[in-house]
Amino acid sequence: MDVGRHPKIRLLAYSEVEGVEGEMGNFRIRVRKKARYVDENKCTGCGSCAEKCPTVVCDAYNVGLAKRKAIYKYFAQGIPSVYTIDAAHCRNFETGKKCGLCSRICQAGAIDYQQEDRIVELDVGAIILATGYELFDARKVPEYGYGRLPNVVTSLEFERFLSASGPTGGHVYKPSDLAVSEVLATLEKQMRTSSREIERFEKTFEMSSERFIEKFNSGELTGGHYDEWAGQYRSFLPLKEKFKRTKERAESLKTAHRLAFIQCVGSRDSRFNGHCSAFCCMHSIKEAVIAREHDPESEVHIFGMDIRAVGKNFEEYRNRAEGEAGIKFIRSRVAEVTENDSHNPVIWYEDTKARQVRSMEVDMAILAVACEPGPSARRLSELLGVPLNEFGFYATLTVPPLDTFRPGVFACGCAHGPMDIPESVAQASSAAARAASALMGARSKEQGAGSGEQDAESRKQVAGSEDHGAKAKKREAGKGE
Amino acid sequence: MELAREQIDYCMECGVCTGSCPVSRVLPAFSPRQMIKRVLMDRDETVLEGRELWACLACARCSSRCPARIDFPEFIREYRETARKRGNLPQESHHGALQAIMSLQTRNLSQHRTDWAKEIGRFKTAGDIFFFVGCAPYFDTALKYGPISLEMAGSVLRLLNRMGIEPVVSDDERCCGHDALLSGDRETFHKLAAINLEVIAGAGAKTVLFSCPEGYVTFKTEIPKYFGKLPFEVIHVSQFLARELPGSGLSFRSAENGSGAITYQDPCSLGRKAGIYDPPRDLINMVPGVKFEEMARNRENSVCCGTSAWMECSECSKEMQVERLLEAAGAGASTLITACPKCAIHLSCAEQNTDITLKIKDLYSFLLDRVE
Repeated sequence: MDVGRHPKIRLLAYSEVEGVEGEMGNFRIRVRKKARYVDENKCTGCGSCAEKCPTVVCDAYNVGLAKRKAIYKYFAQGIPSVYTIDAAHCRNFETGKKCGLCSRICQAGAIDYQQEDRIVELDVGAIILATGYELFDARKVPEYGYGRLPNVVTSLEFERFLSASGPTGGHVYKPSDLAVSEVLATLEKQMRTSSREIERFEKTFEMSSERFIEKFNSGELTGGHYDEWAGQYRSFLPLKEKFKRTKERAESLKTAHRLAFIQCVGSRDSRFNGHCSAFCCMHSIKEAVIAREHDPESEVHIFGMDIRAVGKNFEEYRNRAEGEAGIKFIRSRVAEVTENDSHNPVIWYEDTKARQVRSMEVDMAILAVACEPGPSARRLSELLGVPLNEFGFYATLTVPPLDTFRPGVFACGCAHGPMDIPESVAQASSAAARAASALMGARSKEQGAGSGEQDAESRKQVAGSEDHGAKAKKREAGKGE
Repeated sequence: MELAREQIDYCMECGVCTGSCPVSRVLPAFSPRQMIKRVLMDRDETVLEGRELWACLACARCSSRCPARIDFPEFIREYRETARKRGNLPQESHHGALQAIMSLQTRNLSQHRTDWAKEIGRFKTAGDIFFFVGCAPYFDTALKYGPISLEMAGSVLRLLNRMGIEPVVSDDERCCGHDALLSGDRETFHKLAAINLEVIAGAGAKTVLFSCPEGYVTFKTEIPKYFGKLPFEVIHVSQFLARELPGSGLSFRSAENGSGAITYQDPCSLGRKAGIYDPPRDLINMVPGVKFEEMARNRENSVCCGTSAWMECSECSKEMQVERLLEAAGAGASTLITACPKCAIHLSCAEQNTDITLKIKDLYSFLLDRVE
């Protein structure tokens, strides 16, 4: 928010860096400002366009658990608070159909279907890479069954389940149960079509289906229409039965009571990422505690080799989770997750303290997925001539630790390596300070040489974070004096 | 044991190996993690003198999941070598008949290895494609389960003939040495491999086809470790057929109705050790009308057929085998197909003492039965 309002910071969201030339103190950056088809200066973010938009799209922010519209804001608190048309799904662009609903509804007149990508050239003195991270794809670990077993979810998905503004309103329903409501809707539709057909037959032949089928079975009635009727009725009966059963299940929906958190999924694992992802121990404990707050009856286990509670009060938090919140910690890396007949995950593990192989049935298993370099890291590293380290994050000097191997280019946050929010914030301030001091040097050199060109005086930072490839958000702060 | 020592230094004692081990679930005293730990604590003796050293099936369920990439089957193999020298020997199944057959083959002897093939198909003594039959001609003679492994080899030969391929099948071929190596008898393995390489070179083969997954991994990964890069291509028959059948002009009759679903048992050597999961499934699905159902634990998570290297067959093996058969039946299958003669033998043996009525079939006979 502060960044969005700051008079000396220019924000270029939904943009991508395409070229970088020059050197510390005098970089020239080409940025592609992608077309939003909405005028940022006019849009007030009121949301009436999204309310009326007829196209429903899977919502990436809610990790596919909810729906959004083709005109959308990636998430409610996004800066700048303006809407964007998703051209891949909007009717106007995709099928060429004339829809234009949002343009008619928008009171600010911000919708502009003719908008095109714009290239912005920036003169900056220093660059800060804050491109964030990507979550490990848990499908790569076949033994945990993510993607195959419905009630195995990632920590991020679980985070959305817990969120009051999330797709389940903060109730932790099992995904297999949630799927039931969708099945129910489909069945209801099929039932309606089928019963309409049957009613038509009943009206035409003035006979109830029960009586008809008796007669049909005894061979009294045969031939074209009767065969059709019998076929229709015979397929209707199991449908009705299935609908009844599904409805009963949907009505008895319970929230997940038994939760298992599985640590180190894709990290500290030399098959995938050797590094520790740093934040998962703490976020699993946090999610576990919140889940117990929502439902004090729930049984929550955290499976891991150890708990890495590094930082002030972190160890105390872990102990509180165990002592006060009743979270159970099991010293074991989970071997595999199978499924039983009621779609409940079964956790197989060796309790290394008891030296025994055990299995535990739970309602939901939550995978603490690893922190990996963001998808843009490789591209930007080539573009900027900044090498990556063995883990794929930007390589930085040992001292000073935020400097990349190209002078004037700095990295911070999870672009630098896995870390939690407080550490990322601290690094961001630190990177800004490093950029400022680098510019001071460049400026005094130029003044000494007598070429006080105004462009070189401007201090600008380019930072970006590309979350989950769904949204490219580039923050560019320009500070002209 | 240098290699094994060096590797296990990375152990995090996380318990994934023991938690994944199918043997540990039946025999709680067997724990890969604790064996490694004992060695790390310089108590090698307890491992070398214990019986559990021989209980490992080398199914690679542990090593394929190990976050430190410790090759536990290789660790076991090295310790078995030492244990054997100290007189700690495995309990050999079938009174050691199969081990005797293996070691006999290290000698200069004349075999009638191709008699079965003469009756059913065409083959050559020299040529580009060599069909490595493996121990099939001996298994069926030494064991009491009927023509399981020869049926498999025969089906491969007939399928190849139908595709217009006349492979080399040799009287001089030897056991691949897989079981000898696994049970710590490197000397026998070495002798067998040397003879086999000579025989293959003598036939002038450029490609060697394996129907047995254990022969395949032995040539693909083990023999090159000791003999260097091989001068021929090593390919598993399922890979070869999945690649060549579609363009061969052969077509399949539809699987008859009412025959129930088909499931597939991944052999450990073909799946986890060689990463060949799709070709056998592709082949099964080439038959029109097949209803294919996966078992709950499949592909990377598949479970071993219960015994390996013809040793230590026990209650534990039986329990694993019956569990696996029930898993197949639970998936709604009436036929279980496997691409390994040993899986077929072990599972057929276990089924005899149960009331499970699952048809156990090898992949190639299944295909041959349905070729138009």
